[in-house]
Amino acid sequence: MTSAEDSPAREQSRRELLARMGTGLVAITVDTAFGQLTPGRARASGAPLRNLDAGEGRTLEVLGNVLLPGAAEAGIAHFVDDQLSRENPLLLLKYLDFTTAYPDFYKQGLRGLERASQARFETSFPNLEPGQKTELVRAMSQRNPPGWTGPPAPLFFFVIRNDAVDVCYGTPQGFEKLGIPYMAHILPPQKW
Amino acid sequence: MENADVVIVGSGAAGSLFAANLAQKGKRVVILEAGPERAMGDLLSSQIWSRRLKWGGPPTDSAGKDPLSVNFASGWGTGGSAMHHYANWFRLHPEDFEMKTRFERGLDWPFSYDELRPFYDRIQTEVGISGDAKKEVWRPAGAPYPMPPLQSFAQGQLIARGFEKLGLRTSPLPMAINSVPYKGRAACVYDGWCDAGCPTSALANPLALYLPQALQAGAAIRHRSFVTRVLTGTAGNRVTGVEYFDAEGRRQVQEASVVVLAAYAFQIPRLLLNSRPGGLANSSGLVGRYMMGHAGGNVFGLFKEDTQNYLGMTGGQLLSQENYAKDPAKGFLAASQWMIGNALKPNDLLGIVNARPELFGKELHDFLRTAGKHLATMTFLGEALPNPDNRLVLTSGKDPYGFPLARVTHDFGPDDIQCFDAGMKQGQEIFKAAGAYEVWAGGRVRIHTMGGAIMGRSPETSVTNGYGQAHDVPNLFLAGSSLFPTSGGVNPTFTIHALALRSVEYLIRNWPDFTVKASAA
Repeated sequence: MTSAEDSPAREQSRRELLARMGTGLVAITVDTAFGQLTPGRARASGAPLRNLDAGEGRTLEVLGNVLLPGAAEAGIAHFVDDQLSRENPLLLLKYLDFTTAYPDFYKQGLRGLERASQARFETSFPNLEPGQKTELVRAMSQRNPPGWTGPPAPLFFFVIRNDAVDVCYGTPQGFEKLGIPYMAHILPPQKW
Repeated sequence: MENADVVIVGSGAAGSLFAANLAQKGKRVVILEAGPERAMGDLLSSQIWSRRLKWGGPPTDSAGKDPLSVNFASGWGTGGSAMHHYANWFRLHPEDFEMKTRFERGLDWPFSYDELRPFYDRIQTEVGISGDAKKEVWRPAGAPYPMPPLQSFAQGQLIARGFEKLGLRTSPLPMAINSVPYKGRAACVYDGWCDAGCPTSALANPLALYLPQALQAGAAIRHRSFVTRVLTGTAGNRVTGVEYFDAEGRRQVQEASVVVLAAYAFQIPRLLLNSRPGGLANSSGLVGRYMMGHAGGNVFGLFKEDTQNYLGMTGGQLLSQENYAKDPAKGFLAASQWMIGNALKPNDLLGIVNARPELFGKELHDFLRTAGKHLATMTFLGEALPNPDNRLVLTSGKDPYGFPLARVTHDFGPDDIQCFDAGMKQGQEIFKAAGAYEVWAGGRVRIHTMGGAIMGRSPETSVTNGYGQAHDVPNLFLAGSSLFPTSGGVNPTFTIHALALRSVEYLIRNWPDFTVKASAA
């Protein structure tokens, strides 16, 4: 069994391969409704959402930040909203074989969260105290909390949590924050 | 549209192999691929972008206590699911072919391991497998691997320490990934992006091997061509071609002397059931039955050492089949194996994030930072016994072309579950012995899809014969894991290739029979 003592040689080999493929390490961008922007930049520039309404976007951002602080600033709402317009969305929801239309899954889940928040605290989810948000999110991770409607709450928790990790850590910049070498064969576009 | 000799539905592992062999023998071959066209340059290194490679067609409702994974397992676009497969290539063991005969459980295949062995050997040479046959002491008889094993890294070596302490053996994982340059294809550079599709040609996906051969020999491929029915002659016992809808949604017919269905395991039974009332090739009533998925799961551990878990192959580095032998004395009848040291990325279904799916908030940030350097994992793959009640049926829902959608219902049986539970218990003991300071097991998942149109000796108890030729419709061939009567405890892709080679050579050998009879259909 060989071991991995030849990392420099391996890295050199990879670079040579990339050069041969003509792909290099230059990021690609594509045209989008936001222009050529990352979701985080789209949010910062105030780009409007197209599928979620402003209230839904706000609730999604607040939930995202409870699940993974920084997800709102990384553009979770713009990422999800943009993907909902795609023929073949790049959302993890795809893997769960949930047959409801994707926009309905998000809209109904966000509505369910609002109803559960009202039922438990008589307050809209974005306006809850930090401890209340955590309490409700922990409850929804395990079962449908009182007042919940829409897709199963644990499934919704799972999906939004993964969306949050996608925008925070699923990119070359995200890997760098974790100290994980990205080592792309072909770098993805900065915009999904 | 000009008639073809053979129309092949699906451009994945089996379809591309059929196409290459037939086109090289001068046959006019048309491949119809439901998804979009992709080239190697489209295989971006990103778990987010990799989701494009997974099924994007009409949905299948997945039900039951252990619902099969539909979209994650299926492919979408050139090369089908083989574009995102991990290239863990194993042979089924002799007892996997003789479950009924040896154990009075499950089903028999229509031939023995010895019959398939030469095809495994030939595919192995043609495609290239890296491994160490001597260290793989459980391996069925066969030619040694043509390439030395792939490298192992800290993650695999740390876990192997646990196996060794418990007296369990490991070997390099046999993989259809080049450890050295092989037949003009590059060697692996261990960047761990196999799941996103390997663009370097080191991993034997259809774009690296059989599709270019097929196209060079004159085969045509039409993308975004969604096949809705197999068409039959008046008597209904011979096929005349297929009906499909093209990228613009126009109905088309491709006539051919022979039809090969090489779509993924959910689409083959759906297509047969949609092709005529009661289902085409369904005199046995078994189309859609015996759907199987492996009972799989992961054991995780945190080590003080840097596990370098970003290096290597998605499918793992090392193998242990110490538990493979089917022994009723264990209390269950099922084979299983460990695939050790899977390369990890932070996000996605199999990413670090879902090693601890209950964490959120600051705890999740902290875990990702720690696990990025210190997490190790290995994957358990357990056999599932064939059960006719695990079944795909049509529903009242319709696809965009007006044809019924499908529902697949799947429950694991007691043997499958006991095997899985024993594996997870053993896996945690191994990690503790290896020195992990925190050890846990993930949940039970369904890996791979098999069955739904099984092969066998009798038209009463199977859909096709041992060549994948439909008992009821001689010029209709099926290919892929739909044919498997048993799942074994190993990944299916090597066997898919070996079966496809055996079938296509039978078809070529007997070609005059098909052309004469087809013209009389």
